[in-house]
This record gives sequence, C-alpha cells and structure tokens, in this order.
Amino acid sequence: MMKDCTEAEVMIALCARLLEDQKTAFIGFGMPQVAAILAQRIQAPQLVQVFEFGAIGPTPLTPFVRNTMGGPSNCYRSLAWTSMNQIFAQAQVGLVDYGVLGATQIDIYGNVNSTLLGEDYQRPRKRFPGSGGANEVASFCWKTIIIMMHEKRRFVPRVDFVTSPGYLDGTPEARERAGLPAGTGPWRIVTSKAVFGFDEDSKKMTLLGVLGGLTPEQVLAEMELKPLVAARVETLKPPTEQELRILREEIDPARTIIGRTAKAA
Amino acid sequence: METLHEGAGELRFTDPDAVRAWMRDHKRREFVDKTLSDADAVRRFVADGDYVSFDFSSFTRGPLALIREIIRQGRRDLWYCAKFTLMESTLLAAAGAVSRIDVGFMGLGDTLNRAVEEGKIKVTEWTNGTLTLRHMAGGMGVPFLPTRALLGTDTLKYSGAKVVRDPFGGKPIALVPAVTPDVGLIHVHQADVYGNARCFGPGVSPLETAAASRKVIISTDEIIDHEDIRKDPSKTTIPYYMVDAVVYAPFGAYPGGLPGVYEMDFEHFAEYNTLERQGQLKGYLDKYVYSVGSHLEMLEKRVGLARLNDLRRRATVKEGYR
Repeated sequence: MMKDCTEAEVMIALCARLLEDQKTAFIGFGMPQVAAILAQRIQAPQLVQVFEFGAIGPTPLTPFVRNTMGGPSNCYRSLAWTSMNQIFAQAQVGLVDYGVLGATQIDIYGNVNSTLLGEDYQRPRKRFPGSGGANEVASFCWKTIIIMMHEKRRFVPRVDFVTSPGYLDGTPEARERAGLPAGTGPWRIVTSKAVFGFDEDSKKMTLLGVLGGLTPEQVLAEMELKPLVAARVETLKPPTEQELRILREEIDPARTIIGRTAKAA
Repeated sequence: METLHEGAGELRFTDPDAVRAWMRDHKRREFVDKTLSDADAVRRFVADGDYVSFDFSSFTRGPLALIREIIRQGRRDLWYCAKFTLMESTLLAAAGAVSRIDVGFMGLGDTLNRAVEEGKIKVTEWTNGTLTLRHMAGGMGVPFLPTRALLGTDTLKYSGAKVVRDPFGGKPIALVPAVTPDVGLIHVHQADVYGNARCFGPGVSPLETAAASRKVIISTDEIIDHEDIRKDPSKTTIPYYMVDAVVYAPFGAYPGGLPGVYEMDFEHFAEYNTLERQGQLKGYLDKYVYSVGSHLEMLEKRVGLARLNDLRRRATVKEGYR
C-alpha cells in the first residue's frame, strides 16, 4: 500500500478515470461526488452530473461541501433544476449513461446491499439507512459503477439483502426477465485495491486490474467471495500527482471525504 | 392483470374516491388568510397516529421548525415517510414520536438503525424514487403508478409494491400504490397568506407532497404579497388550494440551509453529531425543543442574532434562487 495516499484517494482517482467526457452520470452522495468533480477537472470537463434532487449538469463549487448535496455550492450553475420524480424518469427513459454508487456489501453478481445485515427483516443484526436512490440508479442507468472500501466482509458470496439489483442470480437475462431495463447493470466495481468488471456470459465479478505494488492473490485474499480473474490483469496506476493536487488543494482541502481509510478488520 | 410478485410490506392504502371526497370537502377554494403560528398549525393539523410526509432534507430547505414543534407537542405513533430524511427522522424517533417508517433513506447517525434493530420502530422498505412516485400517484388521484425500479430485489419483497405483467407489452412491471399522507410538511422560500408558495432550486417533491396530502402545512421564510404571485406565476410551486396552513418561520429550515438565503449551520450539526454518537439526543431535544416555547424563541435564545447573521452572510450564491 502506498504510504502517502489514503484509500479514499485511490478509489476516487480510479473511479474518476472511468468517467468519459460528454456523458451523463447519476452521482450519489459522498465519494461519487468527489470522483465526478475530479473527472470534470481532468478529462471530462463536460461530464453532465445529475443528482437525485433533480439538479442536471451542475459545476460544483470547490472546496467541496460534504453535507449539502442539494445546496447552492454543489448545485452551482446547473443546466436545470428539476425534482426527484423527473430525474428518475429521465434515467428510466434511458438518458443517463453512468450511475455511481457506494455500497455496504456486494456479491459475485454485483447485487448491492445497503439495507441490513442479518436474517430477520424486522429485527436485523445491523440496520443501515436503506436504498435512498440507489435502487433506481442501479436499475435505470446504462452502466453502474460501484465504489467501495476493499474489506473482506464486504465482498460476500451472497448479500444478506438485495437492496439494488446487480445481475440477480446470474442466469442469462436475469435482469430482463425480472422486468429491469434491458442492457443495464453493474459495469465496474472500484475499490481501494482493484477494479472489477463482470464476465459477459456468467455475469460473475471479474478482477480486471490491481493497484501497482499489489498482486492479484493479495487482492483476492481480502474477499470472502471468489471472483473470476481476467486473462491479463492490468496494473493500475496509483493516484497521480495531478490527481492528488486537485483533490487535496482544490476539491477537499478539509479532507472530509479523501481522508477516509478502511476500519481495521 | 396477472400478479407475478407482491411485497409483504404494510400499506395504508386509500381509495381514490375517498381522497377526492376529502379534497372536495376540506380543501378551501376561497381565498382566506391561512397564516397560523407553528404551535397552532401543529395543534390543528397533526394528530397522534397520522401518516406524515416531509419534503427535501434536513440539510437543505427542510421544515425543521415544524418537526421540532411536532416533537414539542408530544405527538405519538406517527407513521413517517422517510423519502430522504436525515436529522428529522432521527429526532422524531429519539423523541418517541414515530412507530413506523416507510424507508427511502433514513437517519443521521445510528440512533434510528438501533431503534429498528431493537424492534422499537417498524419499517417498510421503499426507495427515494418509489416514495416520491407514490406521492405523485396520490396527488394525481390514481391508485398506483408503474415503475421499472424495485424489480428483482429484496427491497421489493419488503415493500408494499406488486409486480404484474404489463398488459400492453407483456414484460414484468412494478406497481407502487398511491400514498395520501395525513400531513404534508413543506418549507418554502416564499408564500402569500393564502398558501401560494414558491420553492427555488432543486428539490425532492414539494408539489407532489402538497398535492397528495390531506392536510398541508407550509412554513415559509418570507410572506409575500398576493399580487407578487400573480405578477410572476411561473414561479409558483404550490397553488394555494392544496395548502391548509401557512406558518411564517424565518430560518424555518434551521439548522439546515435555505438556498440563496442562509447556509446550513455546520457547527450545529457537529454538536448534533457528537450528542448523537454519545446517545445524548435527549439533551439535544431539551436544549433545542423542550426548553423553548417556539421556533422564534429557539432562534433567539439558543442560536442568537450573531450566528443567524453569519449564516446569511455565508449564503453568497444567490443566482437562480429568486
């Protein structure tokens, strides 16, 4: 692990690199916001962010203000301010290319849990705040990117609760058979150690790249599930000086998001 | 229509004709001054056991003054719609005011999560989008609306949605039932005394919440002349006949911000976060709710003019919010 940058900085940089210019991206609270701003400052100045509060195309003011996702600094100079029903309708009709989400727990088919741990819905062992808009984002956006801390217990063969849909049971066209929009689904998982995709046929999570300095074995050892491994695993560049400078000096000097590291296991 | 799946979540479904009759009989078409104090509005329009829906967020344009008044008056057994709630659902739970929550996203800190783990609050699973869609259905007077969200998930299993075969296209589609809250709480930038109201900036569902709710309390940072409404009608978010009470509440979103008018109070949220983590929300409620008689008294005695002025000064981004 690099000594001089945090796990959050790694995840944010890896995620930002995936976002293309002149595309639309549904951006969730927290790390996804910072990743989208970073992408706008580097390779994607015309990345059009959309928020569940209905802002379309904001150019957020920095330093980034953590709490006010729907406030004036984060929604600065948007193209339009709409509402939650309208913005989810626009995603449902197919206008939003990427969705960027956080997750508590994920399984091999990319099903996401942000609701609870345990067996009993009414008396869970651990309850979390719930879907928020994540279920809509994972259902409607063409390509969903999930950004999460690389901790063993978060990567499980089966999630305790499917909050937001991945490839469900992994059978062919499982999403389409459930009624979800065709051709959508999880596309990448970005962690503090690696990037995963999904195998076209089996829909299983597949290791695509590991952070420079790590081996695939080291990454797989930190997962309860066993993903597939691509024939050629890419070596991912750690955050560049430019990325770190923008993150630390322009976007988040207070380090409210980029300062985060995983809890000790 | 063939039902393919149905969620096990509990619903409070109302026949659309019952809602129409309510709207005919209770929503006043005549222009009457609906201004009330926060205490009177909550006394008249919020009852124990009500289903309560609020709009936006505790960080931004949320009706926090009204939430505190509901707590102050000791309402119990509310069924709360958490379409995007952070501090307010937590405060209501800490005060023992809610017994059920429809979850889109709930809580700021772990208090509410623990209450669910301990079985003190019953939850039904939804999403932010499906809860706002349920308000749209309620406000349209239809029994349900279709959506391609929820499908294939446990969220659906523990919601009150159903999956049917689309009678036109044949694919599975989720239907979410209309919600017609007993009470809708909405904070706005400006309103006239009749309840014509303006919200500026992005939002969750102010219009849908007002349209769907049987009793609507608007709190407003500014009361404006009725003539101003007529001079610029494209700015009207909510028409007066949906509104039952207008509460003049400057800084009514406090400690959240009102876009273009005042910023959220970060120090207040830091204090809240500390107390929440220590399990001391009773102390928070004593300080900001129970020991003061009204929103204005809280602003005066617990916040103070210097802090309020500073929050106004920090709201430097004005464009788009007028």
